[in-house]
Amino acid sequence: MSTMKRAILVGGIFGGALFLAGIAMAGDVKGKVSVQGLRSAENIAVYVDAIPGKKFDAPTQHVTIDQRKMAFVPKVTVVLQGTTVDFLNSDSVGHNVYWPSISGNKKLTHNLGTWGKGEKKSFQFNDPGVASLLCNVHPEMSGTLVIVSTPYFAVTDSDGTFEIKNVPPGTYTLKTWSEDGKPTTQSVTVGATAANVELTVKK
Amino acid sequence: MDRQGTRVVVVVSLIMLASLIYAFASAPRANAIPAFSRKYQTSCTTCHNNFPELNDFGLAFKKNGFKFPADDESFVKEPPVLLGAKAQKEAFPTAIYPGELPGNLPIAFRYSGFAQYNSKVPLAVGFTPRTDLFAPNTFTIIAAGSFGPNISFWIDNDISTGGSGAAGGLGDGYIKANDIGHWLHLPKDALNVRFGQFELDLPFTQARTINLSDYDIFDQASVALANPALCEFATPPPPACTTNNPFVFGVPQRGIEFGGYPNDGNFTWSVAILNGNNDGPAARNSKDIYGRLSYTFNLERDPSVRKEVRAAGPTGPRDHTSLRIGAFGYYGRNALNIGGSLFPALPTIREPFYRAGGDFRFKYRNFELWGLGMFGHDTNVIPNGPSDTATGFVSATPVTFAGGFAEAEYWVYPWLIGLMRYDVVNSPTDFAAGVSRRDTRNRFSPGVQVLVRANLKLAFEYQHRFEQPIPGSAQFFRANGFVIGTDFLF
Repeated sequence: MSTMKRAILVGGIFGGALFLAGIAMAGDVKGKVSVQGLRSAENIAVYVDAIPGKKFDAPTQHVTIDQRKMAFVPKVTVVLQGTTVDFLNSDSVGHNVYWPSISGNKKLTHNLGTWGKGEKKSFQFNDPGVASLLCNVHPEMSGTLVIVSTPYFAVTDSDGTFEIKNVPPGTYTLKTWSEDGKPTTQSVTVGATAANVELTVKK
Repeated sequence: MDRQGTRVVVVVSLIMLASLIYAFASAPRANAIPAFSRKYQTSCTTCHNNFPELNDFGLAFKKNGFKFPADDESFVKEPPVLLGAKAQKEAFPTAIYPGELPGNLPIAFRYSGFAQYNSKVPLAVGFTPRTDLFAPNTFTIIAAGSFGPNISFWIDNDISTGGSGAAGGLGDGYIKANDIGHWLHLPKDALNVRFGQFELDLPFTQARTINLSDYDIFDQASVALANPALCEFATPPPPACTTNNPFVFGVPQRGIEFGGYPNDGNFTWSVAILNGNNDGPAARNSKDIYGRLSYTFNLERDPSVRKEVRAAGPTGPRDHTSLRIGAFGYYGRNALNIGGSLFPALPTIREPFYRAGGDFRFKYRNFELWGLGMFGHDTNVIPNGPSDTATGFVSATPVTFAGGFAEAEYWVYPWLIGLMRYDVVNSPTDFAAGVSRRDTRNRFSPGVQVLVRANLKLAFEYQHRFEQPIPGSAQFFRANGFVIGTDFLF
């Protein structure tokens, strides 16, 4: 085998080892959110805040938010900045989706119009923040879309537990968003094994 | 307007304005929701664009027996109580046909209270206060729903009107069998039947109007011009000569109504057999008949949009652009002098009467325009002599009237609605009776309505009325008024 070929082979083995080592070293962030003064710990968004100097490509796969039985399903959705969301109508009544602002910025308001059962309309969310999803003929309907800067996020289930998968090793800032509670911030260090965190969200 | 009156108006207006500001500034956590809202856990605005006015979806909901037009069961949040498993249908007639009760008590309450400022009315007419705070006070209980797929009901009763302890009364109280034409292989909802006391299938409702005052033509009754020469002979003079027909359109009637809207489409028809004594028990043997036909032209360009319950607007569903035209007619035979109550020696007087008219309604985006014209004719029969010597009756000049209204409504915002209305009634007999300066009396009624919440409204209406004679003088006055008030349901 020539010297060149040998060097390429060694480099490939070393790179592959590094790649596999990276996968083996990525961990999960697991935990539980407890609440004070709130009715429930369900549907609280937990996400890794923006990492300085790190940008993530917008995913090609769309995320779907349905309107079913006069409700947004899921009620709270977290997406990476740049994600395209498909708003599906599964009801036999006409719905519409609009948001009055994104994190209070009314310049980012948008109304998608009206569509019937089985149809969908899509929108790419390029600005980070929180959008309250509303239907202007059924004002009791509401959902929330949280647009974040990293692909590491989760939404708590009924007892407040969450799991964020495949977070690379490092120290990050973990943040929460909930409809009625104040945002919470906590530092988390991810190693080769899962990091466990306990968060408290207050009214 | 005098100083004291001005002060009162300013104070009341400021109080109302302060309430409005406070109500808007507040951030309610939960809406109060009447019966249907509770059943489906949805806001009033699903069916109403300016309660109690129905949007296209609300109309479809009502036509479907107070159920969602499609997939109703999937939207119900309060499941009904089954009065028999659905499979019991197969066991019928050896078992009672299964029905259902609403899961929660289908009751709602409505309160309306208004303050009124009146222009100065001459004392010769009778005392009319310049201001009247919160009258009429009306507290209404409403119960409505369905007992399964084909039976629906509606009951509303004014528990209190015009202040504490005042007499209330049943408004509508009926049960309706929907789509009974199904058994005759007729199109869906081609034939429905309702029985009880109900507002006629009028082109425009008076019982559930958005206005603060009635449509004048709906309150018009036929009262004959008394013939002084004949009436003077009797001692004491009879209370009225003839043609005192109590029937008015604006009051619920008792009877049975057949009607339908085949395939829930644009054509509607109804025929009702009625007592004809408004919301009272039958006062004569004969029954009256009322019929109505209407057709709605859906003016949406896109054929697929026309099939939807509501049209797809750029910012959300909206009512279809449409034009509805209709015609209606009423026939009855009023009966007087039953048992010789007016003229003891004479038989019962029978005076056939009819009402006939046409209507239209145009909708386009945030604007609606509607109107109605009607003609009324009552045969007038009077005794052929003084009441104590008369031997029979002769025909006299029929009592006639005509009139109608036109109204426009515009949504500046979903919560801010402007109204403008014109009422007109031409009644020679009313003129002769001193009701108005001329045969024709009319009024303009501009108004503003504010939906402070989906179930709470503040309403303002100014009424610029016709000239009326001042008794004992050659002068006239206008009974103008400004009404402001609140209306809410829970």
